[in-house]
Amino acid sequence: MPMLKLKVNGRDYEVEAGPTTTLLEVLRGKLLITGPKIGCNTGDCGACSVLLDGRLVKSCITNALTAHGKEVITVEGLVEPGEFHPLQKAFYEHYASQCGFCTPGMLVAAKALLDENPSPTRDEVKEAISGNLCRCTGYVKIIEAIMAAAQEMRKKKA
Amino acid sequence: MEFKVIGQRVKRYDGLYHVTGEAKYVDDIYVPGTLTVKALRSPVAKGKVRCLDISAAEKLPGVAAVITNEDVPHPFQDQPILAVNIRFKGEPIAAVAAVDEETALEAISRIKVDIEEEQPVFDPLEAMKPDAPKVRPAGNLYMFGKYPYRKIVFGDIEVGFKEADYIIEENYLHLPQEHAPIEPSACLVVPEADGRLTLYSMSQAPHLILSWLVEVLYTEPTDPRCAKWSGRVRQRGITSLGDIKYISAFCGGAFGGKLSIAPEHITAILALKTGRPVKWRWTREEENLYSTYRGPWNVNIKDGVKKDGRIVARQIRSIYDGGAYTFFNPYVVDKYSFLAPGPYFIPNVYIETYCVYTNKPPAGGMRGFGVTPSSFATEVQMNKIAAELGIDPWELRFINAYRNGDQTPTRRVLDSVYLIETMQALAKKAGVKLPDRLMKMTSAERGK
Amino acid sequence: MGKALFFKAADQNEACTLLARYGEKAKVLAGGTDLMARVNRRLLSPEVVIFIGGIGLNYIREEGDNLVIGATTTHADIVRSALVQEKAPLLAEATGQIGSPAIRNMGTIGGNLVNASPAADAATALLALGAKLKLVSAKGQRQVAVEEFFTGPGKTVLRPDELLQEVIIPSKRPGSKWAWQKLGKRKADIVAVISVAIALQMNKGVCSKVRIVLGAVAPVPLLAKRAGALLEGKKPNKALIEEVAKAAAEEMTPIDDVRATAWYRRKVSEALVKRLLSQILE
Repeated sequence: MPMLKLKVNGRDYEVEAGPTTTLLEVLRGKLLITGPKIGCNTGDCGACSVLLDGRLVKSCITNALTAHGKEVITVEGLVEPGEFHPLQKAFYEHYASQCGFCTPGMLVAAKALLDENPSPTRDEVKEAISGNLCRCTGYVKIIEAIMAAAQEMRKKKA
Repeated sequence: MEFKVIGQRVKRYDGLYHVTGEAKYVDDIYVPGTLTVKALRSPVAKGKVRCLDISAAEKLPGVAAVITNEDVPHPFQDQPILAVNIRFKGEPIAAVAAVDEETALEAISRIKVDIEEEQPVFDPLEAMKPDAPKVRPAGNLYMFGKYPYRKIVFGDIEVGFKEADYIIEENYLHLPQEHAPIEPSACLVVPEADGRLTLYSMSQAPHLILSWLVEVLYTEPTDPRCAKWSGRVRQRGITSLGDIKYISAFCGGAFGGKLSIAPEHITAILALKTGRPVKWRWTREEENLYSTYRGPWNVNIKDGVKKDGRIVARQIRSIYDGGAYTFFNPYVVDKYSFLAPGPYFIPNVYIETYCVYTNKPPAGGMRGFGVTPSSFATEVQMNKIAAELGIDPWELRFINAYRNGDQTPTRRVLDSVYLIETMQALAKKAGVKLPDRLMKMTSAERGK
Repeated sequence: MGKALFFKAADQNEACTLLARYGEKAKVLAGGTDLMARVNRRLLSPEVVIFIGGIGLNYIREEGDNLVIGATTTHADIVRSALVQEKAPLLAEATGQIGSPAIRNMGTIGGNLVNASPAADAATALLALGAKLKLVSAKGQRQVAVEEFFTGPGKTVLRPDELLQEVIIPSKRPGSKWAWQKLGKRKADIVAVISVAIALQMNKGVCSKVRIVLGAVAPVPLLAKRAGALLEGKKPNKALIEEVAKAAAEEMTPIDDVRATAWYRRKVSEALVKRLLSQILE
């Protein structure tokens, strides 16, 4: 089986991956990184969302071998251990999670947005999380939390 | 008085687990050596399994066990768990525990099954007919005592219709709804050295699952079925709640859809047989197609209404399609029936609610357990009455709202009703200006 | 799974050599949003996977009067590109509604074409733009117009040994008018219920090069030729627009499926074609 070298949340890994192994299978099954979830396995729900070289992807439909030499960020890699990313703090304080299953994917999608656009409008936030489904919250609190985090991050920079 | 919790904004402690990715759902729990489960599901909606040959599957390298109906100690209520008489498309017939998903799926494909297909019935209206194919031996209607429907009689409906100035009748259809939680159903069963089982499940009803699972697995040590099991459990059997340690994993959404023992019984039997940790994680298709759901409702409401807006007679005849097995359906039908007329005082009420079996996966509970569909029908009916009489829809509800001292159709005398005050507060918040005569009403006992 | 092979083609030649060797057994992988979803659903179990992400087909450039886009250019890059927004805004608009941000980061214009869904958004827009596709193989190369490329749902004229190299789009000229509308059950991550792509030239009030395309209403993205012909060389008015819309709806062969009924598709197509034409021609 081909060998896959990749960096995940700042650490280097080398694992075997087959021709049709998904990045999600590598993360969860081989590296035991369980933040990204299996919600549908067809790229429809977004619970598997991760950043691949800084871009938002759905890891359940990402061929693992195409991630060779690349860097993956999952929810566990948002910050140094022990600290909170403003997004995590905002989700916690704004009650933006109920069952929490969509939360890792939502946080990663939000980070992808704020990395590129530090001052999004509400519509831009909705667009950014349009690939992430939530069956619990109705999205309102999630959007609020992302807007609040964006504001806090702008303040910090200023 | 200072409150620490009441009236305070309290953060969800599990919010921290959610945002850090530390929350462990069933599939996040890793136990070395865990086997994967796949089920052979019936391709037809109704039939009899004439021949089931699991030998090729059992021989496949990497397969630890294959189970059939013979391995199941007790059914779950009226559900056999692994079916011989198939009642719905997708009903499990056999199950495999193997080292990985690929092997488990290959094993499933090697099971030889011969099913004699029978005529199914899908439409509840068809299923109610006397010559309809029988979903279950006792017939397609659940018996509520001596009646094939839940019957509630209050006052005299025919007298009420005669007294009325208008008769307003309408049909309502509430389609089935699937919870579709983002986390599909899953459970992990780990046999312990002392013969007990540890069960990790995403279920929203741990106590129900625990007691139901013990009922399904119940076997005294002297039972020959114990001899087929692995490890110390052979000597001690499964005889009490204490034989299973239930650990709730985080639940990735349920809404009433994770109340049934869905993956737990099959997974537990495989764990008993193999002596190894066994995990069953349903696919998205399995979760959406075969988990319980809110069944569809066919409703007819016929009201007798006075010119001044008082509803003096309400007749609600409903048909609930509960799928192939009983589960919570009678409870759903009862909750629906008790609350169907709505929070309104109506002196003559007749409720007739059928609970029908069809060859579809069994329905279950969902957010409201029957009250939600009834609210839909009743409240749309109220608006229809308001429109036909030319009365404001708010006013219609004020006129008919319960007052303290009123009796419900189920004979309960009410003593702390606040619908009127709630509507008044709601109108204020919504910026709806209600006429003074409505804002002056109270829920005080009539004539007091 | 044990015996399947994975190749990371180093360049176009290697990709073509591999395709020549493995032909039908091989599946070409770029973004993988369609391929991997089908693999996960166990609809596909390829014996050979040829990854072409590194063979240099990720480009957007102007070549004379054409906009040329490499097959492995992602939807996200197409949407963001100032060049595409200027020279083929219809494509930018349609591509921006494919899937959701993550899907657009991974999916490619080539994949959208080769996957050949009758509802494919980029394909529908490219058909309206009159694009041509350059197909290469070890044996040589050929150009195929988009309207000749699709032969049925999921089927194209691409041979097993051929690779889609690039998409050649006539650049927007003065007098170009266009419109796009995708209808779906929600705003993202959906296959179209129907889609409408219109491109035409308007000079001194007269329409020419009229291309009206409907997606998800036929086995392939549909170029409504009779409808387009009605408008060709004419000055549009309300009655003519209605006639054109009616003709477009009649050329369709929609089906009932999980997303909508044929009846609905016919009704809404006619309304959308009429609305879009009215918007751009008035």
